[in-house]
Amino acid sequence: MKISYKWINEWVDLSDIAGPAALAELLTARGLEVESIQRQDEGLEKVISAQIILKDKHPEADRLSLCKVNPGGGAEYLDIVCGAQNMKVGDVVALAQIGAKLPNGMKIEKGKIRGAVSMGMLCSESELGFAKESDGILILPPKTPVGWKLADVLGLDDTILEIKLTANRGDCLSHRGIAREVAAALRKPLKSPKVTEFRASGSPIRVELEAGADAPRFFGAHMTGVKVKPSPEWLKARLESIGQRSINNLVDASNYLMFEYGFPVHIYDADKLEGGVIRVCRSKAGEKLPLLDGGEVELTGEELVIADGAKTVGLAGVMGGGNSEVSDDTKNVFLECAEFHPTLVRRAAFRFGRRSEASLRFEKGIDPEGHREAIGRLIDLVAKLAEGECTGGSAAEIPMTAGKKTVVTSGAFLNGFLGTDVSVETMVSIFESLHCRVNRNDDELELTAPSYRLDLNLREDYAEELARTIGYDAIPTTIPALSGMPKSRKSDPRRHRAQVIDRVKDILASEGLHEVLTYAFQSETWLSRFGMRSTARILNPLSEEQGYLVPSLLPGMLKAFQENERHHFGSEPLSVRLFEVRPVFSARAEAIEAVGESETGVVEKMRVSLLLSGPRFDQALKSERGEVDFFDLKAVVESLLEQLRTKGIRTRVGDSKLLGESVRLFHPGQSLQFSAGKDPIGWIGRIHPKLESELKLSRPVFWGELDLEPVISLTPEKEVSFKAWSGFPTVERDYALLVDDGVAAENLVQSALKSGKPIAKVIKIFDTYKGSPVPEGKISIGIRVIFSDESKSLEEKQVDQCSELIVRKWSEEFGASLR
Amino acid sequence: MSVHLEIEEKGKSALVRIEQAGNLEELDACRVSALGKKGALSEALKQLGQVPPEERPKLGALANEWKARLEAAIEARKSLLEEKKIEEDLKKTRIDVTLPARKVHRGSLHPITATIRKISETLGRIGFDVTTGPEVETDFMNFEAVNIPKDHPARDMQDTFFLGPGVVLRSQTSPVQMRTMREQGWPVRILCPGAVYRCDSDATHSPMFHQIEGLWVDRKVSMADLKGVLDFFAKETFGSQVKVRLRPSYFPFVEPGAEVDVSCAICAGRNPHCPVCKGTGWLEILGAGMVHPRLFELAGYQPHEVSGFAFGMGVERIAMLLHDIPDLRLMFQGDQRFLGQF
Repeated sequence: MKISYKWINEWVDLSDIAGPAALAELLTARGLEVESIQRQDEGLEKVISAQIILKDKHPEADRLSLCKVNPGGGAEYLDIVCGAQNMKVGDVVALAQIGAKLPNGMKIEKGKIRGAVSMGMLCSESELGFAKESDGILILPPKTPVGWKLADVLGLDDTILEIKLTANRGDCLSHRGIAREVAAALRKPLKSPKVTEFRASGSPIRVELEAGADAPRFFGAHMTGVKVKPSPEWLKARLESIGQRSINNLVDASNYLMFEYGFPVHIYDADKLEGGVIRVCRSKAGEKLPLLDGGEVELTGEELVIADGAKTVGLAGVMGGGNSEVSDDTKNVFLECAEFHPTLVRRAAFRFGRRSEASLRFEKGIDPEGHREAIGRLIDLVAKLAEGECTGGSAAEIPMTAGKKTVVTSGAFLNGFLGTDVSVETMVSIFESLHCRVNRNDDELELTAPSYRLDLNLREDYAEELARTIGYDAIPTTIPALSGMPKSRKSDPRRHRAQVIDRVKDILASEGLHEVLTYAFQSETWLSRFGMRSTARILNPLSEEQGYLVPSLLPGMLKAFQENERHHFGSEPLSVRLFEVRPVFSARAEAIEAVGESETGVVEKMRVSLLLSGPRFDQALKSERGEVDFFDLKAVVESLLEQLRTKGIRTRVGDSKLLGESVRLFHPGQSLQFSAGKDPIGWIGRIHPKLESELKLSRPVFWGELDLEPVISLTPEKEVSFKAWSGFPTVERDYALLVDDGVAAENLVQSALKSGKPIAKVIKIFDTYKGSPVPEGKISIGIRVIFSDESKSLEEKQVDQCSELIVRKWSEEFGASLR
Repeated sequence: MSVHLEIEEKGKSALVRIEQAGNLEELDACRVSALGKKGALSEALKQLGQVPPEERPKLGALANEWKARLEAAIEARKSLLEEKKIEEDLKKTRIDVTLPARKVHRGSLHPITATIRKISETLGRIGFDVTTGPEVETDFMNFEAVNIPKDHPARDMQDTFFLGPGVVLRSQTSPVQMRTMREQGWPVRILCPGAVYRCDSDATHSPMFHQIEGLWVDRKVSMADLKGVLDFFAKETFGSQVKVRLRPSYFPFVEPGAEVDVSCAICAGRNPHCPVCKGTGWLEILGAGMVHPRLFELAGYQPHEVSGFAFGMGVERIAMLLHDIPDLRLMFQGDQRFLGQF
């Protein structure tokens, strides 16, 4: 909200304040944050009024004029080149002199334009910051003195403060409201104008309230003989200074009243009202209402409207109707100053996309006791500006059911709550400066807020009034004491979960991967490229690109890969190594709907995604750097699970049926499934060559994703417990096995572990070989079995027996033979 | 030739060959030919039977003397040759140690993760515990539970993504406060970090960003306690020289409410063109206040028994200040030139 320093000064004496900056500081310290301070003449310091003496065409350019300009003060005439055509000899115009820096940032320097010297610039309204756009240069009124500063000519001597008002302080949405705060801070009186006493009689139009408590009061006044015309200069200047456009004297009067008193008011053409009555009621569903902005809305039956005896004439609190608006020929008017339910106004304004200065004020609540004075002020303004005469008023009011809210608190509470040591006397004087009624009984305080302070309802609200008046700086600084034992972190499943997630991030970073954060939403099209469909759609996305909550982290991960690929150039190989730990989302049912207070029907599961591409080493000679492949990625996952000490995660090779959703994602011969028990929990592998070519990836990508929830539950919370190792020697046996190509080596390992129990402790694949002399379709696999026993030295015979059993099982299960 | 002469002769020639041995193998051959069972010296001594017995001890002594000389010469030559061989091996196995090292990749944690950890660690020292909650929330938890009823003007402050009737992407981490208060009785001392969402996207707003909120509820908690905690946090995070300023403000879930600034650690307010604080000398970093009694009612607490404070800040903002990150959008692009710096 824009506030004029001069206007505030009319309401409260600012002579004790060292200018606008000091006022801004005072307001900010009281919770009315001043965002900017703008002097009206900022950028106009070197702009003067000047008169055009000669105007010729530029010899080199038809669209330019060469002017001789009198800068006043007896100085020499200046040559100016000008691109506009709307001026003539004798006009007084705004001249930006050499060295000026205009409000739009333009710097004026001595220059040559197409060979002609220009000693300044003639300015347009937009260049002067008066308008966003403008045609031609600004022509000042004919009798404007020449050689004056433009700011003086236009009376631009005010300073405008932009205040960011919080949602609770509707009472400050006016100059009077701000002035009240200043007066309280300075302990000075408020200078209110003398206002005509409103009489609720003599109006030919009566007022009826038909919406009960939703529209509890309406003050109307009938005025005759008004003359609609442009507003006087002072009023135009004042409204323009706070960013409002002057329309005519009647509209300006109502706006002026709103920005001065905070009451949104409306002026009807009384001759367009039928039936001698104004009613406030609910709209009829389907009814159409033309609005004064030229549009038309179809009402729903919910919003409050104003109607006369025959028709609806306004959308209450939002906008007047086009069928009763003031025009140039208006003679008689009816003034409205009323109160409408904040929520109904808010909904109507949103529904029809017509939030306005008026609706904003109704939404935040209007002083229920101020209407009489406000409409009196409006009557005075219309009388003064439009020569209207008030024939009388009519008012209707539903008595307030609840009386004024009184809060009982104590000095002890307020000091304890704030941690302060303020005397009760000081408290009383502070609350009185805010126009609260105070009844003190020793330490006890009975407090009643002024009618306009709708936000003061609780003792905590008064604590804030006290705190902001003494200043937050005056509150001491203490550290709260721990009462009782801190909550135990042991055996808390959520704590364990958080710890595992932290560990996962640490381990993956130590494995040389960069943690990435991608958006939780992607487009439907992008997800479909990966064969995915989201079950959680955002109803109001910023764009289709961000329309769906992700069912997997992989699509976002691939975007991150492409981002790195996009800006990569040169001969250095691109290395991309990323991981992400974030939840994915799925809806339990077709439609997402809240159940009770805390159930959303959307499931969030924490996942980890991984991506590797490029050289194996960050730095090494070319011959040694290598390229990451499937086994680098597999190593990362194995290292992760090993360091977490996760138990019971199994792997399974590329059975495409089991790979399910991953079919499109991974090379079927270079992918591995992980499972917890029978449930698959994720996959890793090389990106499917088809996807690789569809996405035009420049190099192979190895990626994967694991559901972290089962990993978390299979990860022990228990500390590592030491295990002693066997002191007896181990026995090793190496085997060269001939099997069909396609037998998974891991299956041979698992078989040997099982059949070699309990002494075959470690099984290692150390070599594979294909080609002559190994027959076509076969592969030779080198396996080492390490036998040991914790309690004794193994006997040769025992190892032989076990070894035979292992080999027999290999033969039975996989058709393996020893080479 | 007398035996005497023969010993002398053979000894001398063996000595010459030892000195000439070019490597350990040749030296060993010298040893065998001079000192071996069939070596020159042994052969010479075999003739001892032919000399008169009185000369034998003399000749024996001479032979032993030569044996010792030759052995010493072999030892000396051996160590010389060994040294030479090591030298040669070293030369052969020399590498250019200035060539690039075989370096494994270095990974990194996202600055958001790192910042959340830093804040949690700092406040953990004075008693806060970290807790989290879902990112998809009910309208009730996101708004009504923090005193923002339907049609409340404060809803304007946040544009929220909706997923269905009463279901939103949380626009703040505050729902975690209510969930925690309901689950556990007071005292409550928690930090709630996490992702939040608002329909806003430009150079300084991201539709997804992160917040961390703190909540402390107990008997007789005061606003002075809030100031103390914020002062501790600011000094630990930005340096012991920074000052904290609270300005009155309004958030529906607190009363009194405050916006909190820290003094600019870069220019301390001395540079009118400071790029960090824009010359104001202050950086707005968080919102805070005393928990509104309505929240205690909704949590099932007796508002007259407890009081508390809450504060919340944007993690991106803190991370950007800590690491001089100029553009919010860098956080979510996945660009390794950015990620690799942390």
